[in-house]
Amino acid sequence: MIEIKTLFFIIVNRGKANAVLRKAQECGATGGTIFFGEGTIQSKLLEKIGLTEIHKEILMISASEELCEKLHNTLSEAFMFSKRNNGIAFSIPFERWQLQASGQEERNTSKKIDASHFCIMTIVDKGRSKDCIKSARAAGAKGGTLLHGRGAGIPTDFYFPLVIEPQKDIVMIITTKDKVIPIRERIFSDLELGKAGNGIIFTLPVSRASGLFENRSEESKGVTS
Amino acid sequence: MNLLFEKAKEVTRTLLPVVILVLLLCFTIVDVETDVFIRFIVGSVLLLIGLSIFLWGVDLAMNPIGENMSHEIATSRSPYKIAILSFFLGFLITVAEPDLLILGSQIEESSGGTLNASIIVYLVSIGVGIMVSLGVFRLLRDKPPYNVFMAIAYGIFFVLAFFVSEEFLAISFDASGATTGALTTPFVLAISLGLSKVKGGKNSEENSFGLVGVMSAGPILAVMLMSIISGQKNIQGDVGEYVFAEGVFGPIIKAIPAIFMESLIALLPITILFIIFNFRKFKLSKDDLSGIIKGLLYTLLGLTIFLTAVNSGFMDMGRIIGMEIAKMSNWLLIFIGFLMGLIVVLVEPAVHVLGEQIEEVTSGHIPIKLIRMTLSIGVGIAIALSMVRIVVPEVKLWYFLLPGFATAIWLSFRTDPIFVGIAYDAGGVASGPMTATFVLAFAQGAATIIDTADVLVDGFGVIAMVAMAPVFSIMILGTAFKHKKVEYPAIEKKSIITSHLIEESNMQHDCIMVVVNRGFAERVVDVARQSGATGATIIRGRGTDEHQKVMLPIINIELQPEKEIVLLITGTHVSASIADSLLCDIQLDKDGEVVVYISPVEAMVKSLSTEQNTDDIVPAT
Repeated sequence: MIEIKTLFFIIVNRGKANAVLRKAQECGATGGTIFFGEGTIQSKLLEKIGLTEIHKEILMISASEELCEKLHNTLSEAFMFSKRNNGIAFSIPFERWQLQASGQEERNTSKKIDASHFCIMTIVDKGRSKDCIKSARAAGAKGGTLLHGRGAGIPTDFYFPLVIEPQKDIVMIITTKDKVIPIRERIFSDLELGKAGNGIIFTLPVSRASGLFENRSEESKGVTS
Repeated sequence: MNLLFEKAKEVTRTLLPVVILVLLLCFTIVDVETDVFIRFIVGSVLLLIGLSIFLWGVDLAMNPIGENMSHEIATSRSPYKIAILSFFLGFLITVAEPDLLILGSQIEESSGGTLNASIIVYLVSIGVGIMVSLGVFRLLRDKPPYNVFMAIAYGIFFVLAFFVSEEFLAISFDASGATTGALTTPFVLAISLGLSKVKGGKNSEENSFGLVGVMSAGPILAVMLMSIISGQKNIQGDVGEYVFAEGVFGPIIKAIPAIFMESLIALLPITILFIIFNFRKFKLSKDDLSGIIKGLLYTLLGLTIFLTAVNSGFMDMGRIIGMEIAKMSNWLLIFIGFLMGLIVVLVEPAVHVLGEQIEEVTSGHIPIKLIRMTLSIGVGIAIALSMVRIVVPEVKLWYFLLPGFATAIWLSFRTDPIFVGIAYDAGGVASGPMTATFVLAFAQGAATIIDTADVLVDGFGVIAMVAMAPVFSIMILGTAFKHKKVEYPAIEKKSIITSHLIEESNMQHDCIMVVVNRGFAERVVDVARQSGATGATIIRGRGTDEHQKVMLPIINIELQPEKEIVLLITGTHVSASIADSLLCDIQLDKDGEVVVYISPVEAMVKSLSTEQNTDDIVPAT
């Protein structure tokens, strides 16, 4: 049984994910999950004429630590993540849950949170993602990726003749450690997430990221524990 | 790389083969005047620009308007309101369609005035309105199943077709082609998508398609009934002597004002409806509103440029090629017709929109390439058969139409359900402005040379064939797709019962990410909630694993199974038991191929306590 310790995320332009996945499979990854997202753009001019959408694909690969390391190196070389706008890759420590492992082993959760980057996830109602990105930008974030999902769980209003399924936007922002708190606070207060029903926000530690452009740091190596 | 470039690239890819084919013909066998030739080149460049802008405008304006409208329809709570609203939507967008008015006056002329053009337009629009509101009801109630619904509609056509002359059979299908124009199709597609998104549920993917198919049934019904009631059987008349335009830029510039007005009129009802509703109901924020208004302007601009390019640059060229080749050899005509259909359909604006929507809805599970290929082949064969019909007058239109639709209906009960909607939509989508001008001109050109052919009737027939072929070909694809679909190997796994002890008391949170096969997300949420989870967010995706790999032979396209990703945020004290119970659930484990990942999530901001976790799922009001 290979112990899966991380989930490896790659965000690229739409249509490229299959090529990336193929490359990853050459490195030894077994498979991946792909979903669609939207990137944001930061340009006054393009915003004026309404060119603010970029279609992205997000590829998620579960990997062991060694594989993750290998993927980072080979993929960022092959797809040139070091160049602007070619895509980004990052890994988040996720534990693949196995039945046998539960119970006996004590879960060593909190000790890993000393990564250099964090992934802030905000789940809000559909249509509010723009505000979310706006306030994140105001607090120093560079950009984000939008995912579209739907809420599930508590049975909602029964309209005639159907049940309305709430649609959700998920905003994913990768940022450095020092900016996490201001961005999070800003989004929290701007979107009034404290009020019931307005959405939730949480952060995940990123163990390593490539292709991010913040303060000219080409590639930042966090603690790859 | 941004959206506009993406669109331009996509359009170029589909336009290039058309240009190459025409150039090849021009340099080898067909003798074309320099004026027409240069106009074609200028037209192609304009078409590229126009179509890219148009598609971009559709993305910016049509999709949000469609989504808001459909939300309004779905949440209006009263069946009467839904019926009235969707009827008006269908009626208004059809009444303003310029192609329909042209068709109406054509019928009026050829019937010697017994049928009035405006009456035809109104009747057809009422037909569309009724069908759209029936379609919306069907979508919201989710019954009867779509294939049954369409089978009933087409069953009625079959019965009516016995009482209708061949001319009117052709005209009725042409009317349906005319109503599914460049503007209405993207809009109706957006409405359909929006409705199924709001409705959600198990069949939301299947429901995202099919409204265009339903809508295009309206005109067929209206025209057939009109023919039967009025007793009008024949149409005679000629399409007056065709005059080729002269000059290069003259005809292009001369065409602009009229086309601009046409596009404006076509766009107006949607715009006005939106403004009224925005004022009273949606009250969108300033940013969103300005985005939509920009989008509408782009749509208008793009549509004008596109239609100008097609009308002035492509029509004459198509006609000349048709005439020249018809002079040479019948076989060559059929072959060139096939090639023409193969590539021209991909330039149709609505084909791009549909393709995008398929990708969006299935998150790439159904490769667009595959849909496009099937469409091409279908339309190619349709045009080739139309050429056969022009060459051999004994071959009647219904020789192809009736068996084609009959087989399609039969197949609709055995294909993958999502393909049924796509197939019926594709019929309306394929018969857009490119077919109505370029291909039609080609057919009419050929028909003028061949004595036995009737320019008017054969011309109408081409569009009917183009509307039928994709329905047929995509149904076949769907049937094949169903058999190719990934069979999930049922792996025997013994379930382990674990006891869950809740020990920790501090409220830390875990993020649980569950990846399952499509359709099992609801089950995941159910199981998770039994173990103490509160709410979840579901994302659609596709995924591969080595043992599930399915490659299509020859064309080398990989089919990737659809997945759903469920995101749960829970307290640490319950996360273990949730994960365990998910893995223990036999159904999820076997058929759902569930994979569970857990990561600690950094404590949420300040006052955010567990209760607010649950609030995630409270819908917007």
